[in-house]
Amino acid sequence: MTNLDHGKFTRMTTVFHSLLAMDVFFLFFTGYAIMFNDELWWMLTLMGGSGAVAALHRVFGVGLLALVTFWMLMMVTTDTGRSNFREILPTPGDAKAFVQDIQFVLGNAEERHPNARQFAGGTADEVPLLSYVGKGVVFIFAAELTLLSVSGLLIWSKTGLMQYFATQTAAMAFVVFHGLLGVVMLMGIMFHIFEHGFHPAFFPVETKAFIPRSMIPEEHDDDHEGTGIEHLELSPNWASASNLGGAATVIGIVSVLVASIYDTGYPVSLELLVGGGPTNLLLTVGVNIGVLVLFLGMVLSVYGNLVRIRWEQRMAEEEADSVDAEAAD
Amino acid sequence: MSNSTAENGASSYSGTVIAVNAVISVAVALGLIWVVNGFNVFYERLDRVSPTVDGGGIGTAFAEGNEIEWLVFLVEAIHAADVLMGLFILVLVFVHWGSFRRLAGQMRQPGESRTIPDGGEADTGGDEE
Repeated sequence: MTNLDHGKFTRMTTVFHSLLAMDVFFLFFTGYAIMFNDELWWMLTLMGGSGAVAALHRVFGVGLLALVTFWMLMMVTTDTGRSNFREILPTPGDAKAFVQDIQFVLGNAEERHPNARQFAGGTADEVPLLSYVGKGVVFIFAAELTLLSVSGLLIWSKTGLMQYFATQTAAMAFVVFHGLLGVVMLMGIMFHIFEHGFHPAFFPVETKAFIPRSMIPEEHDDDHEGTGIEHLELSPNWASASNLGGAATVIGIVSVLVASIYDTGYPVSLELLVGGGPTNLLLTVGVNIGVLVLFLGMVLSVYGNLVRIRWEQRMAEEEADSVDAEAAD
Repeated sequence: MSNSTAENGASSYSGTVIAVNAVISVAVALGLIWVVNGFNVFYERLDRVSPTVDGGGIGTAFAEGNEIEWLVFLVEAIHAADVLMGLFILVLVFVHWGSFRRLAGQMRQPGESRTIPDGGEADTGGDEE
């Protein structure tokens, strides 16, 4: 048994996931450097000031439009896409899996529900394509990305938007809406990074998101009961790393949530209101820790692809060796 | 024993479809940007002379556009959604953190010898990345 576990996704999906991740990370870095400029002023400066950051945000925005459209087309125009879409519809089992996860943490359940299991091991037959969290991620992110794309297109040309409302302040409301909308995704991605970076069986990254299922061998003995996680050796760094990662994730989520409440922005206040970063060092540190979690996610995404490349090389070498061995016989 | 979740049996995406859809998506993305770039104000249609707030006259824009009820509601609603989703996401983080700790407890601890439990099977795969 290996911590490769069972393959789930096609190469199209793994490549798409990596591209979407990169694009969304850059949208976060540029977008929240603008919205949370109180706390992330250094990022704004680093990327060339507000004008350059806004321009970069638009470039990655075009990328996101292309990616979202591409995914919708793939889901609609292909048989695989349509059948996978049916597989990711939420079922009653998903609600049970959430409840059982809580029971598992409390010690009232012996194992995670198949719909929650990230490490399938010997129970791959019971485990659906996506866990209940995976399904939630797909649906919430799909709704978010659609709304973000629509509101992003609306605020692309502020003067165009103003002709409908005849005022700059109303256009500001759409900008604020766009920024606040992304906060759900920002917090969700931080959780997503923790969920797939710190699972003890996969630490430091769950490779099934990067290595397509066609490249993962599916041979294992089915004789023992359960997932067989007890055969895997825990990484010596896991305990400290997961505590650090978990703490950073929680601090990051709480901080961006609090910072987003300060950044209301509409209706535009008649007097100068100072809040958030300039008055709150703790919040500034917290939001920066959140950005650090995102950066870790970007690093893990690159690392996942590095592991995939190494794995490809190893498979090619093994194939070449077996051809040589046959020739020698 | 092989498993049915692998490529055998399950279909995959064809390269042609991926290529065609990629081209269409880039075209759609650029087309949308082209449309919104041309999305601009036609100044002659702006009501520029009425000197009242209701008429949207010069200098009244701030007062008129700053408290449009449904926009205020939209911003408030998304604030509430952020807080609710944030709390839910925090619950998910803690649930996963907790279950990861339990799962880690079930694994062989670092440095523990590779003993075979009673009735268990030897680990045949070895550790791979």
